[in-house]
This record gives sequence, structure tokens and C-alpha cells, in this order.
Amino acid sequence: MSEKKEKWIEVQVPDVSVVVIAYNDAERLPTAVQSVLDQTLHSVEVVIVDDCSKDSTFEVARALAAKTPDRVRAFQLPENSGGCGAPRNLGIKEAAGTYVMFLDSDDVLERNACRNMLEAAESTGSDLVSGLCVRVTVDSRKKKTAGWYPWIYAETRTIDSITELPDLLVFDTLSTNKCYRRGFLLDQGLEFPVGIHYEDLLFSAQAYIAASRITLIPNHVYYWNVQERAASKSISNRRHEIANFVHRMTIHRRVDALLESKGYEDLRYRKDIKFLKHDLALHLRDLALLDQDYQREFARLANEYLAGISPEAYSEVQPLQAICAFLLTREDWENLLPATDALTNPGRITSPLVERDGRIYWCDRHLDGEEGRAILDVTAAGHHTKPLTSLSLGNKLTSYESAGGSIKLSGRVVNPLGRIAPDAKLGAALEFSARRNVSGKTARIPLTTVRHAGDHIEWSGVVDVARAVRPLGVIDAVWDVHLVLTVGEDELRTRVSAGGTPLDEAGSVRIRPRLTTLVSDRFVPQITPKGNLSYVLTAESKVAVRTSAMIDGAMHGQPARLAKSGLHRLVTAKRNLSSGETKIRVYHELYSKLPIKKGLVVFESHLGKQYSDSPKAIYEEMRRQGVKFEAVWSYAGAKPTGFPKDATLVRRWSRQYLRALAQAEFWIDNQGFPLALAKRPGTTYIQTWHGTALKRMGFDEPGTKARGLGAQASFQKALDRFDHFLIRGEHDRRTLAKGFRLRDEVLLPVGYPRNDELAATRAKEAESGVRERGPLAAELGIDPEKKVLLYAPTFRAGPGGKVQAFQAPFSVEEFAERFGDTHTLLIRTHYLNNVTLPPSVRGRVVDVSSHHDVTPLLALADGLITDYSSVMFDYGLLERPMIFFTYDYDEYAQENRGTYFDLKERAPGPVVETEEDLFGAVARFDEEADAKYVAARQRFNTEFSEYDRGDAARRIVAKFFTGSGK
Amino acid sequence: MTDQTTVSGARDIFIVSNSVDEMGGVTTWTHQMAREFTGRGHTVHVIGVTPAPADRRHEFPDPLPYATTTLYEEHPPQLKALRGLKGKLNAVERRRYAARSAAMQERADRMTALFRAARPGAVVIVTQVWAMEWVGLADTSGLLVIGMSHESYDASAGSSRLPRVKRHYKDVDRLLVLTPEDANKWIRAGMDNVGHMPNALPFVPERPVARSGKVVASVGRLSHEKGVDMLLDSWAEISSRHPDWKLRIYGAGDEEQALLARTTELGLDGSVEWMGRTNDVLGALSEASVFAQASRAEGFPITLLEAMAAGVPCAAFDCAPGVREIIRDGEDGLLARLGNVMELGGHISALISDKELRDRMGEAAFKNVKRYAPEEITDRWEALFAFLER
Repeated sequence: MSEKKEKWIEVQVPDVSVVVIAYNDAERLPTAVQSVLDQTLHSVEVVIVDDCSKDSTFEVARALAAKTPDRVRAFQLPENSGGCGAPRNLGIKEAAGTYVMFLDSDDVLERNACRNMLEAAESTGSDLVSGLCVRVTVDSRKKKTAGWYPWIYAETRTIDSITELPDLLVFDTLSTNKCYRRGFLLDQGLEFPVGIHYEDLLFSAQAYIAASRITLIPNHVYYWNVQERAASKSISNRRHEIANFVHRMTIHRRVDALLESKGYEDLRYRKDIKFLKHDLALHLRDLALLDQDYQREFARLANEYLAGISPEAYSEVQPLQAICAFLLTREDWENLLPATDALTNPGRITSPLVERDGRIYWCDRHLDGEEGRAILDVTAAGHHTKPLTSLSLGNKLTSYESAGGSIKLSGRVVNPLGRIAPDAKLGAALEFSARRNVSGKTARIPLTTVRHAGDHIEWSGVVDVARAVRPLGVIDAVWDVHLVLTVGEDELRTRVSAGGTPLDEAGSVRIRPRLTTLVSDRFVPQITPKGNLSYVLTAESKVAVRTSAMIDGAMHGQPARLAKSGLHRLVTAKRNLSSGETKIRVYHELYSKLPIKKGLVVFESHLGKQYSDSPKAIYEEMRRQGVKFEAVWSYAGAKPTGFPKDATLVRRWSRQYLRALAQAEFWIDNQGFPLALAKRPGTTYIQTWHGTALKRMGFDEPGTKARGLGAQASFQKALDRFDHFLIRGEHDRRTLAKGFRLRDEVLLPVGYPRNDELAATRAKEAESGVRERGPLAAELGIDPEKKVLLYAPTFRAGPGGKVQAFQAPFSVEEFAERFGDTHTLLIRTHYLNNVTLPPSVRGRVVDVSSHHDVTPLLALADGLITDYSSVMFDYGLLERPMIFFTYDYDEYAQENRGTYFDLKERAPGPVVETEEDLFGAVARFDEEADAKYVAARQRFNTEFSEYDRGDAARRIVAKFFTGSGK
Repeated sequence: MTDQTTVSGARDIFIVSNSVDEMGGVTTWTHQMAREFTGRGHTVHVIGVTPAPADRRHEFPDPLPYATTTLYEEHPPQLKALRGLKGKLNAVERRRYAARSAAMQERADRMTALFRAARPGAVVIVTQVWAMEWVGLADTSGLLVIGMSHESYDASAGSSRLPRVKRHYKDVDRLLVLTPEDANKWIRAGMDNVGHMPNALPFVPERPVARSGKVVASVGRLSHEKGVDMLLDSWAEISSRHPDWKLRIYGAGDEEQALLARTTELGLDGSVEWMGRTNDVLGALSEASVFAQASRAEGFPITLLEAMAAGVPCAAFDCAPGVREIIRDGEDGLLARLGNVMELGGHISALISDKELRDRMGEAAFKNVKRYAPEEITDRWEALFAFLER
């Protein structure tokens, strides 16, 4: 160390040294350096290290040092190192500060970065402080920014070992968003590796492991400037990536060795998972677009590494990620390449799939081993049960040519599990739609040929693009292509995956934009980042090229800004027009001014999701009695199925819906018409409600209690819309009515119309001594000899009230195995959930969740298995046995909301908590679940359903519609 | 850039608030800290933008040992926002705007003159974002500017203050919020100059109270925000189990009549005592053995600090970061999920039934809460001034 420098340190040790490295970047270096000099922490020095640039970088660096000699120093490597390691190592050596940070010459630091890092380091004594890095896409229109793994940096946190937070090592492998105690780097001998790419990965792993304390801060500290366009290089430019991949694998091995030497098995395992999920998936993404030599070389390198990762890691990643990795290890190219298409486009089915031993597999190979079966099993995705129209089918382009204004192309669509029947009538058309679509118009061109071909559907045709597709020419620059496949009545939309079909050689298509061919006159085929076919509008003729350049220039001037903001306003206006707020205003200010229509009744069940429950029972009773009225049923979702044909169907929140509600004489629903809609005084609201309460409701719920005055008042206002509220027992008066703060005169103690059918069934059965099964049993294909059990659980909410996905809490396969010969199990999930059953249980376990109305299912079942669902109170009316499978009782009872009573004390049947006990109770059904509880069931009915006498619908109709009961 | 000549020396400290003497938490804080800073040898000047309204004016018993200034004679006029073409054409309103702006600049210039006369190392502490609008117009070069938000992040996020804090405090040297958790939220909302600083205890009794009276005490305004209705619901869940205990509620407010009616409705007339507003909080606490708080929203609640300083164990809703910062759940007090009156009732009941638990938590509270003793907090402030000069 020179004498001069020693003195300098003695005089003033800066708190932080920022090492700025540069290579051939004279232009941007001053900005990076300035971002350090502008720090709110003043005690900061800059150490510039130039990697022996060929341009004037070093002169610029020296000029910066000369300008601020007390804060900036410049160094240069004697020869170019080709990486970031060597310059940073020199920077560490030359730095004088108590702490060191790294900055690349094309990036900048956040203004408060050094101050925040220093405060965190000094207050915790950490060797290493890390903050949030922000990626800035500098060539995007609005300088798009994205946090780098922001979930790791959600809050300030200090850890004493990296094992407390494996995600940090596994995901944030940057060295630049960090502040290191210089003494720590020197004591530990931490240096960047030289002569290899991905030096950050190894350095950061070493630093995490060596640090005795690490602090994370949520602050933005580092702006990482990236160029989006540079990232999408042409394929021929990517050959060198193999070399990079070699480097990447080498670095990964060195990090793995480090973790192993420390005995950090969990960290290694987390890293394996991340490798499958991210690193490998990234390379697999465009594998199909690259040539065979590359593919083979890539497989060799990747498989060497995959051989070392934990086999259990495959079970922790998404199915397609595991499938692709597995097929790669088997070098099964025929199945791997379509699978990578599905990896890039989640949900897409790019393989015909196969059913084997009651399970669904991705492909028919590799199923002889347990590992292959476990990984390739895609039963849970429900491809065998979901409606055909909801499947996203793989569709691969097989040939492509263009001439003039026409293209000739063909392709094949996967037909998974033969779901498209061989005798189904097929049709096909290509649909072109502008990505930035102002007019909402698309062009649809029929294809001449479409036919079954084994496990695929083949299609081909010649498309006169020039005639059919008429872009405006300025705004709608990118056009996406869909193949619309017609199967009988159904329409299936698929994207066209370009796969390995060469489009580069194919010429552009001449088109005629609506505005003018002066601007653009060609459609150039382009593959989207996800591998799908699209077209980009460009200029080819001399005139068009020239005007296009002029427009490009003009697009940034004042008139262009006006035009663009005009367009923006147009799009916003269109969106606002259909927004909730506008609709609510239209409802109150327009529709509610229209006269009320006598006899107009609007029905809704479960927010429009079903045709069911008491509204349905009242509706059918009115029809039965021939009441004169105009019926409107509300439905949710795209298309109403299963709703009555003799009523007007309106989609929830549509204009027709709002208008019907505004003009109705009666509202009848079981949950609540939109809270924001005021009910007119001339409208009578009959709230049937949908179940006896176990969980606390309304103002008895903590969530409602906690709300502010305004929110509570508007909730009360919505509840005060109820003119009549049905109750089925005094329990309802003590719970629901109190929780909703309903006035006593609103309560209508007539029981639930939906349960009339159950009361009738029970009466008939008691009279005749015979249990009759109606047409539903035959429809479901139930063997008359078998006992029918219905499993009807309620839903579960996660933290924050989000509905959790349903997972059967017992093995349905096991159930089918043990009881399938004598029992049929019907599974009905809550209407907010759904279930996918494996083909193996076919005929023994049946999913009945899509049946709107649960009542016929209850009438059919010889026994009910439930948990906390209010279906127990309804089923009780049948006086048939029930089993309460409360596997998560403690969790459910401890849940914030609280209950009105303890289910365990009142349940009229065995309460079981494990699968084993459940199966035990099913096995000894008659003695355990039935005989013992006869008296308990009657007590249960008396307590909760004293008003359910079987005449609720008749009494409602008499009171409100025929006048005979008034 | 700030001179670094006064790292350990005496400073000129300006505390700027909406007003010098408006009743409420911020004024209490301002004058408590002004005394502490004065006690350390700093020269304090408390500046208010506008005089407090007559009915909300705090009367100071003794002359203040530091200077005060109020910028306006009366409250500046409030103008409605001028938007779009209609706003542009509203000449009358625009003239009023111009007049208001000129008046603002004039007041800011008065502050500039005070700031210019300060010694190197001077500090401006702005306690409220509204006051920052004037400080922002003044020339603060050479001074440290520290902004403050005296409420939880969620309270700001539910009002117009979130965008205003983000705009007006953007370039201050530090924006101080009440807790690390609130700081995290502000940082995630895009502020990178955020730190945190708790409020100080208003008093530090030498020994804890006896905890012998069969009384559960609660102190607070009778307003919806303070959740007294939920406190009654909680008490209704458990009062029959503790017939010889009373719930004593200190405070007054606009919900009083509704709360009295609710008490009767719940059949609690015999066990709830309405005490009205008190100036002797320590006296009230000395008759109690348990303290309960059922607020819907809080910042850094002084009432909990007071109860704990007196050694009375607390049961409270976990309604804000400030509450969980003060009470270490299960160690020196008990927290219930907001709105869950069964749980809060259960906690109160546990403290009533279990004397050993009550004493243990009371002693722990008495000891732990000393981390907010005025000298500790003043040390932290002085350390912050020094840090921001580095």
C-alpha cells in the first residue's frame, strides 16, 4: 500500500466504498458514478475499475476522478479479463470504506441505498445487508420496472444463518444489490471466480454461507437496466449459448459442492427444486426452435447435472416441469418437444394422453417404472372430466407457404383420450385478431380440410389473407392467429404453435390496410415468445417504407401524443361503460325511474350460480299452481345450463338483470342480490336464506364488528332491504336474525321451501315402509343393490377468507377398493369448489358437484357424510343416518369466525376424525351410525327445524301470489 | 450539504405542526419532546401553521420554556379542487387560489428567515403532512428535515394522506413512522427514506400499582373507532363468571348514549361503571387490576403505554402494528384478533381469574415498557440527528 493512500485512510475512512466496474461503456459510466455521488449518505467513495476497455472508458473514469478527487478513484486492469470477477476483486482490494458495494457501469443506485444499507448494517452488526433490486426495461414505452424476487424482501429481517431462509441463496444470486462489511470479505478471503461466467452465483452463495448475520431490507437499492429487444436474438445467434450453459453447470456444481461440504442438505434440496422450476425450464422453453445438434448437446450437459439432483425434487415442482425434465433424462425427443410447448403455455394439452389402470398419464411410454408413473401421472388435471370446451388443445403447424396475398398451411390438433368422438361433425376456421383491438372486429376464414387422423385432428387450407384481413394500419400492428375447431355444437379455440416449422424462409404476405397502403403493406409471420404464430404489419414497398419512417418520427411529436391519448381515452371510456360503478349509477338513475311491473318476479340462487334451493322450490310451486307472473332467473357465468326454459334468463350484472331488478314486484333469492343495489319501496324482497347457521353470521362475525361506522351502516342498509326472511326454527331467530339485526316482523316462520320435498319423501317412506329411488338413480347409473352414501362437505377458507381448493380428505381409491362392491359414493363439493376423480373409481365414486340442486341427491342417499355443512339440518328431516367427518375440527372451531354451538355435543351421528375411523363407521354403518342415533336425530330436528313441515312453498305462494293465505 | 461541526453539541430544533396548541396526541407529543430536547440543552422553537379552533384549544398551565410561533392569524381558506376545463375557466376560484398560494409563500418565507438564523446542524421536525406543505415552500438548505406520520400505515392508506405523504415527504432526509412494521409498509409503498421512532412514555411511576381492586379499566374517547361497543360485547361474554368485578370505562364522546343503551340491552348495567373523562389517569389505573382496550384502529396508543407503565396488565385487540409493538403477546399482555369479542373476553377473563398470571404480566409490562422511557427516546433522536449528518 502506498504511503499516500495510507494517509488518506487515516484521515477519513468513508462509510461505504462503491466499486463501479466498466468495460467499453464510456457513455454510461458517468451516470452510474453520479448515482453514487448523489447518495443521501455523504461518506461514500467511488472506486472505478476499468476492465481494459477498447474505448475511452478509462479516460472518462480518470476525468471523473479528477473532478472529485476526494471521493472518486480510477483503476484499470492491465489486460481485459472478459468478466466481472477480476475487476470487482481489484475493487475490493482498493476500497477504503468500512463497507463495500458493487455497481455496474450501466446501472444506478437508488438515492438512499447507502444510507439504508449502512443503518441496517450498524444497527444489527450484520456482515451482509441485501436490498431489493429493481429491473428496469429501458427500451419499453413506460420504462417498465419489476422487483427482483420481491417476496424475499417483503420486510426487514435479520437472520443468523442462511439456513433460516434458503430462498435467499436459491433465488437471489446477485452480488450487486448488497452491502458487505469489507473486513468480512477480507477475513473470509471472499473473491469472485475469474475466467467463468455466472460469477455472481458462486460469490453470493459463498458470502451467504460465510456471513454470521445477514439483514434484508425492503428498500429499492439497485436499478438494473435491461434491454428487452436485445434479449430476443435470432436463433442463429444462440449457438454460443451452449458455452454459457457449460459455465452455468460448472458454477452450479461448485455451489452444490460448497453446500455439501457444509452439510446444508435442505439448501441443496431447495436449490434442486429451483433448478427444475426455473433454470432448466428457461432453457427448455425454446428447445423446439433450435437445431438437433444443439438439442443433443444441451441434453448431454443437462443430464449430467440432472443425474445428481434429488429424485424427490420432482414431486415439488409443477407437473409439466417434472415431465419435461424426466423426458429429457430419457432423451425421448418425440414426447419431450410437445411437452415443452405445454410448459411454455400452461394448461395446453400437447400430447394425446393415455389411460392406464384407472389413471391418466402424459404419454404411453416409461410407465413400467414407478418413477415414470409418478411423474407422468396427470390425473389431477382433470383432462378426462372437464368439459371439452374448457380444454386448451395443442395445435402444431406442420407446413406453411405463402404466395402473394395468400398462405397455404396445415397442422394438427391433439385429440386427448379420444375426447373428440370419431363420429363428431368437424369444422375449422382460422381467426385473425389484432392484439391492440380497437374495433373489436376479427376476421374468420373457413378452412377446407379438417379430419380425424388417429389421436389427432388434421387441418389444412389456403387462406386469402389479403382479402379477409383488413387492418387499420397504424395502431393494430400485431395480429394473433387462432384455429377455431367446431365439434358438433361446441367451439374450441386453439393457438397455432409454430413448433419447428420454419417460418424464416416464408415470405411476407401482401395486405391492404384500411387507412392506407402508404404506411404498411406487408404481413410478416412471426413466432411469439411463447412459440405461437402471429403476424406483424410492416412496410416493404419504397413508398410505404418512407411514410412509415415519417410516421415513426411523427409518432413522438405533439399531434401523435394527442392521437395516442385520444385512443387511450377511447379504450378507457369503453371499459368504464361496462364498469360496476357505471352500472350501479344506471340502475339507480335510469332503471329505477321506470314503473314497477306488476307480476314481475326475479329469482336468484347462490349469486346466480345455480337453479336450486328455495327460490327454485317457490318458482316451481308457482308454476304448478298456474300463478300468472313474469319469471326472470339470474345466472352467473358465460352460459346458463340447467336453468328453466319457461323463464327469462338474465346474466347477473347485465343491463337486463339490473333493469329487471329495478322494475320487479318481487325479489326472491337465498343469499343476497348485489349489496350496492337499493331496493325500491314498491318491491317486496323475500329472502329465503340458504341454511341454518353453525358459524357466526353478520354482525356476530369479527370481520363485521371490526369494520368502520360507514361500512357497518351500508351493510345494515343492505340487510334492511329484506322484507321477509324465512326461518326454519327458533334457533334461526336466536342466531341469524340477531346477527343480521332483523326486525321481528320480518321473520317468516314457515320453514324452507327447498325442504318440502324431503318432508314429503320422509312421510311417504314412513307410510309405505319402502324407500323408492327416483329417476336420478338411473341417470347416475346406480346399481339398485348398492347402498348410496353422499359426501357433502362445506368449503374452507384460508387466511384472508380466500376459498381453498378442495382436496378429498380421504382416499377415494381406498374407499372404492373397500366398499365399491356394496356402496356407491356420491361426492358433492360446496358450490365454490370442484373435484377431479381418477378413472379408476368410475361407477363406484361419482362426482355430482355439477348438479344444481342438492335436494334430489339428499333424497337419494341412504346416508350422509358431512362435516360442518348446513346440509346436515336438511338431511335430518329424512331421519336417515349421518356421519360427521370432522378431520380438522380444532382448526375449524379455532378459526376466527367462531360458532353458535359445539357440533360435537349436538351431532346426531358418530363424529370421526381420521380416515380409518371414517371407514370403520361406514363398515359398521347400520349399528354404529344408524341404530344408536334414532333419538338423537329426532332431538336434532326439534331443535333446528321445527317449522319445516313440508308446506313452506305452498304457504309462501298463498301469502304473496294467490292471496288465499293473506 | 450539512456541516458536521455539531455532532455532539447543542442544536436548534424546529418542531412544525398544524398548530401549537390543538388538543390531541400530536400536540402532547410535540410539547413532551420540546421539553426533553430543551432539557438536553438544545434550543427548541415550536411552530404552528394555524391557531387551534377555540373549542379544541389546549391550555398550558405554565409558560413554555421555549419559543412558539403561529404563522396564520386565522385558518387559511379551504378551496375546492379545480379540475378540467370548468376549473380552468373559473376565474373567481382561480384568483382565490392565487391569493392563497401567495399567502402560503409569505408564511413559508417567515419560516425561511427563522431557519436562516439557525446555527449549523439545525433540525426541522415536521409532525404532520399538512404542515409539510409550508415547510416544503421554505428554504431548508443546510438543515436536516425530518417528517413524521403519527398514525399507522393502514390509517393513512384509508385516507387522502397516503398520496399526500408520498408527495410532500418524498425528499425529506427521513420520514419517521411509529413502528418497524409501518416502516416496511411505507417502504413497500415506494418511500425509500423511511425510518421509525416510537412515542415516549408520558410518565414513569417508580413502582407498579397494587393490582388489588376488582376492576377492569378502559380509557378512551367514546367513539366508534375506539370500539367501546366491542368492549361491552366482550364483557357480556364473561361478566357472569366474575360477578364481583366491575368494568370501569373512562372517557366521553358522541357514542355515549348509544353505548349506555347497549349496556342495558346486554344486561350489564350492574357491572359497568361510566366514569366520564379523567385528567388523572394514574389515579384511575391505581384502582384497577386489568386494563382492556377494544379499539378498531390505533397508531401508537398512549393509553396502553400508561397502563403498562403503571404495571397494569393489558388485554387488547391486535388492531395495529403499534399495539403489537407495545404489547409482547403472552409475555406482558394478551392480544386478541380484531373483532373477535369471544377471544378478547377470554383474555380479560384469564387475567381476572389467574392472579399469578396477572401479577407476572403486570410486572413484565412495568419493566418492558421502560424501553420507551423519555431519556431512551431522546437518545435515539440525538443518535438519528448524528447519523443523518454522516
